[in-house]
Amino acid sequence: MIESLVISLQLALTTTLILLLIALPLAYVLAFQSFFGRTVLEVMVALPLVLPPTVLGYYVLLLIAPDSFAGSAWAFMFDSSLAFSFSGMVVASVVYSLPFAVQPMQQAFRAIPATWLELGKVQGMNIKQTLRHIILPAAKGGVLVAAALSFAHTMGEFGVVLMVGGSIPGETKVASIALFEFVEMQQQTEAAQLALILLVVSFVMLSLVYSVNRKPLLGGS
Amino acid sequence: MSHINIQTKLGALNLQVQASFASEIIIISGENGAGKTSLLRCIAGLQDCAGSILVNEKLWLNSAAGFELATGKRKLGFVWAEEVLLPWLDVAHNIQLGIAQEDKVWLRQVCEQLEISHLLKRTPAMLSTGEAQRVSLARAIYGKPSMLLLDEPFSAQAPDIRARLRQVLKAMQQTLAIPLLMISHDTEDAKALAGQHWRMREGKLLLNANKSSRPMVHIP
Repeated sequence: MIESLVISLQLALTTTLILLLIALPLAYVLAFQSFFGRTVLEVMVALPLVLPPTVLGYYVLLLIAPDSFAGSAWAFMFDSSLAFSFSGMVVASVVYSLPFAVQPMQQAFRAIPATWLELGKVQGMNIKQTLRHIILPAAKGGVLVAAALSFAHTMGEFGVVLMVGGSIPGETKVASIALFEFVEMQQQTEAAQLALILLVVSFVMLSLVYSVNRKPLLGGS
Repeated sequence: MSHINIQTKLGALNLQVQASFASEIIIISGENGAGKTSLLRCIAGLQDCAGSILVNEKLWLNSAAGFELATGKRKLGFVWAEEVLLPWLDVAHNIQLGIAQEDKVWLRQVCEQLEISHLLKRTPAMLSTGEAQRVSLARAIYGKPSMLLLDEPFSAQAPDIRARLRQVLKAMQQTLAIPLLMISHDTEDAKALAGQHWRMREGKLLLNANKSSRPMVHIP
């Protein structure tokens, strides 16, 4: 049980960190720039919200299969399979939780007053300086919400990680899958404990999200 | 000398302004919607427009040749009509935003003149509107800009401090030797400061009463 929880936590942490790095530029272009294909990009980011996790898992599996480009490149570099591995689950989780990271950031970026961005221009700041000194501090709440939701959503994954990870004990069997197997094998005590822990983690994460959202959206410290 | 010749259409407003000025103070007045703020935004490069802008022999815009100097490269001091201060930075950091090299002497001088020296450690939430406005003015001046564009910079000031600020602004403009364009509805501002007084209506300059060549008639 502890083993599966540790894997879940590792997966959620890794996924959240990678997601913040990927979601930041995506949220930035979606919030501030208009370009050809913007709607398509927005839809692609939002797709995991409505796709059955098994569909997503199926395509990720195709993408990282040993005979695919990504899969064979991975095998060449690390001499291991990406499918049915922890790394494979990270890839799937990143895709699955992408909208939960991008959308809060995008909304927070859009809520920044236009004059604050003009101020950056007038003061001669470049994109990097504007991002560091104006956009990110202003959107701090949105970034925190993105991290908390990505973490909680990854902790709660089931279908995708089962498809891509395959429930290998000690490697890819996460807490949500372990819970399912405890119930299947009628191990009621373990099932109850694990369910309660997952409930508490989600409760804490969402409390964080709601307390951030209650504060004034901009510049909150 | 500086020359602007710009045109742009913004909804119902058809902005068309042609003017020349030295390193002097220009007061811009006119009714709401006459295009005063849009004019400042065009000069700052915050608003797209066609035409040309030449400031102290430096080219900022020549749309016919497809040239536009980015706002950040124009070295501007800009004061918005509304409060634009970053709430998570204290006053000192707001004033020095975007400026890498701290100039303590100059900072102290600017802040003393604008009567905000006692506020440097405060955050914007702890300022009155008048104080916040003076901080914005300090930020615009601190960067030693090549031009100052001020949108009603004294609107929230009490009459006594307003009179002192006029003198400070005039002295600063002369120290920096730059053109200063200031939107104001206060006739006292025009009397005390204006090298030129531009009156705007429906996007155009009505009257360019240049004090040096054509003395403006003041009715006491």
